[in-house]
Amino acid sequence: MPNMLWMQTGACSGDSMSLLTADGPSIEGLIRSGAIELLWHPSLTDAPSGYFATLVERIESGEQGLDILCIEGSIVTGPYGSGMFDSHRGRPKMQIVSALAARARTVVAVGTCAAFGGVHAAPPNPSDSIGLQYDHADPGGLLGEDWRAGDGRPVINLAGCPVHPLTITRTLSMLATGTPFELDFLNRPQVFFASTVHQGCTRNEYHEYDVEDREPGGKACMYFNLGCQGPSTLANCNGELWNNRSSKTRAGVPCFGCTSPDFPRDGDLFRTDKIGDVPVTLPLGVSRARYMAYKNLAKAAAPVRLIKREMEP
Amino acid sequence: MARKTLGIDLNRVEGDLEFEVDLEDGRIVGARCIGTLFRGFEQLLVDRAPRDSLVITPRVCGICGTAHLYTAVLALERLAQLPVPPQATLIRNLCLMAENVQSDLRQTFLFFVPDFLNPRYGDHPMAAAVARAFQPMKGSAVLGALGVTRRILQVVAIFGGQWPHSSYMLPGGVTRGANARDIVDCRELVESTVAWLEDDVLGDRLEAFLALDTLAALERWLAEPVRAERAMTLFCNFSRSVGLDRIGGGARTFLSGGSYHDPDSWGPPCGEQKTLLAAGIFEADGGTLAPFDPDRITEHVRHSWFRSYAGGRHPFEGETVPDYQPGSDRYTWAKAPRYGEQVVETGPLAELLAAGDALCRDILATLGPNTWLRQFARLRRAARTLALMRGQVDALARRIGEPHYRHPPEGAFEQGEGFGIVQAARGTLGHWMQVEDGRISRYQIVTPTAWNASPKDSAGRHGHWEQSVIGLQLADEADPVELGHIVRSHDPCLVCTVHFAGSGRRFRYGV
Repeated sequence: MPNMLWMQTGACSGDSMSLLTADGPSIEGLIRSGAIELLWHPSLTDAPSGYFATLVERIESGEQGLDILCIEGSIVTGPYGSGMFDSHRGRPKMQIVSALAARARTVVAVGTCAAFGGVHAAPPNPSDSIGLQYDHADPGGLLGEDWRAGDGRPVINLAGCPVHPLTITRTLSMLATGTPFELDFLNRPQVFFASTVHQGCTRNEYHEYDVEDREPGGKACMYFNLGCQGPSTLANCNGELWNNRSSKTRAGVPCFGCTSPDFPRDGDLFRTDKIGDVPVTLPLGVSRARYMAYKNLAKAAAPVRLIKREMEP
Repeated sequence: MARKTLGIDLNRVEGDLEFEVDLEDGRIVGARCIGTLFRGFEQLLVDRAPRDSLVITPRVCGICGTAHLYTAVLALERLAQLPVPPQATLIRNLCLMAENVQSDLRQTFLFFVPDFLNPRYGDHPMAAAVARAFQPMKGSAVLGALGVTRRILQVVAIFGGQWPHSSYMLPGGVTRGANARDIVDCRELVESTVAWLEDDVLGDRLEAFLALDTLAALERWLAEPVRAERAMTLFCNFSRSVGLDRIGGGARTFLSGGSYHDPDSWGPPCGEQKTLLAAGIFEADGGTLAPFDPDRITEHVRHSWFRSYAGGRHPFEGETVPDYQPGSDRYTWAKAPRYGEQVVETGPLAELLAAGDALCRDILATLGPNTWLRQFARLRRAARTLALMRGQVDALARRIGEPHYRHPPEGAFEQGEGFGIVQAARGTLGHWMQVEDGRISRYQIVTPTAWNASPKDSAGRHGHWEQSVIGLQLADEADPVELGHIVRSHDPCLVCTVHFAGSGRRFRYGV
């Protein structure tokens, strides 16, 4: 049975909370079925004080094997590259992460912070935060572009702020059972990052006919004016509903692109930057001239029931 | 006399907590609570658009992001003097209540009770029953709590799309109103949580438990055979059998900023905060309640790794410039908030004392502040909050079709200052923001754990947690489980303590 050590660095615990929210598979289900042995999780382990330090020593010395290392949180390198903005017993956490990663069979970055730096690395990056193998979209990060884990793979990036609950537990299950899966161009498991947030959004009919809200709180599409990044963000939020219920865009909250390396983008998060009437950032892979032509036609075809906002998202 | 210093790190808290205690013959004579993480959240906000606080600040804390969102939106509304439709406040309240119930139940059954299975208690007569209920990831109460907390959070998902980390509260309202289906779903989610609480935790109706008003009445109720192995009974009886009702007192002054804004009165001039549960400063000695005045809040940095200033400063005048000085008498990345120069405790107990919960007041008057009461108050608050949720859902049902959002006028956030205060899961949470030329110029956050886990201030007064462990006799220095009980009874959220650096200028530290 593969074991797992979950460690928090510069984190808010949001991904741990997301983990607890997953119900199929659930973390207690994975443990009970014997898929995973939990060596350590800072919130869930019932070991006495000091156990973590001992465990780290034993893994570093090779006395204890480590199958899956999950890191939640940004890698904090400040001040002055010392890492002492985030320490454990006087030792910078970034050093502990490097030491454990060198021993692990598989390393998983749980969340956009561990993957790319995340919210703590937004300008002016006061804590000098980076990701495990990326600094925003630039390969490198703490471990370096060419680093590979014991299984030959780079760090597996579970992007999201937080990661979708089921993306965490399904990935753990795939790793525990040896189920093969591919990584995408940012080392995210393709199976969870191969559709846009826009796909499956219940406001899509509004988008289709270019019926766009100008103020929040409405029923129509939020892409043209309200900062929604759904058409350019890869994540399964509208294919796998959150908490088995809904998604931000369905509830009228714009997608902030939290699975992307540049989250949170450096601009007004509730406003769409535009060239003329059209967003600067177009849906993935779309050409501007053709998109404008399509939107003009679509607007002309919009049915009254949408223009009058009669359809519930 | 043998004097030594012990370094202790505690898990099953949110974030990283290290405690350093000075011992004389096994008795704690000095304590330093150490926040080991600096993230610089407030610096991330400076120069951003004011509404970006609704996306950035929930990420301060994954377990109470709804509370941060609520607080941030109040600060924006106070700054711009915006009217808020009652339906929006009802939805905000429901979501914050759901998050608090989640936190109270997870903290109790995932973080606090596992200490009852410590090897020290292996021969305890209740050991087998405690293990059946509380064994981590396996005990019946633990599995039950995992299940119902997932469900109650769906209330947030209905209105906000997801939990954790959404941004559905906007200045002027919320992004969507309720419809009939939402009401049915919310009722079902609340009732299924109540059913679990009644069946597995209380062994009685919610109303009967809430009607208990004295320690004596509670003791009679616990002694009824029908609830011998219920989680509440196990928790209370075990706690008191190992003396948790006699340790961990602390500051003896309790701060509640008030809970859940009144839907009918929140709006301009946004002067005082009328709340469903009253705010107040409650004194353990004398049992008196005084009004809460946010202007009296200050923060000290004398023992923190920040650039020095004299005394304490109100958050609107706060500055936080990191200045790491190892080997000095500074020891933490947390600041020291004080209320009118007083050290205070905040949390569910403070909230219930201020709101007039007769049972908690009677236990406090009889036994004094202690670890069991603090944790008991958390479960009691979960029960009270579920009862409140029923009322809020009913009130919301009567508001279907009313406005849920009023768009602020153009230029509403160009200039000015505002603050918001709510009771988050762990106690009083405040945001203070200032805006110049349409950009955030200063942002200060004072979180519940900042109050509780604060270091010494400029007058040398220990923070509340430090006070609550000083004088404690440790039975086993290698496994100081008493200290774990005391500290965990506060539901520590260290991710919430230690990011309050930054404000004033945008500032880049490091190379």
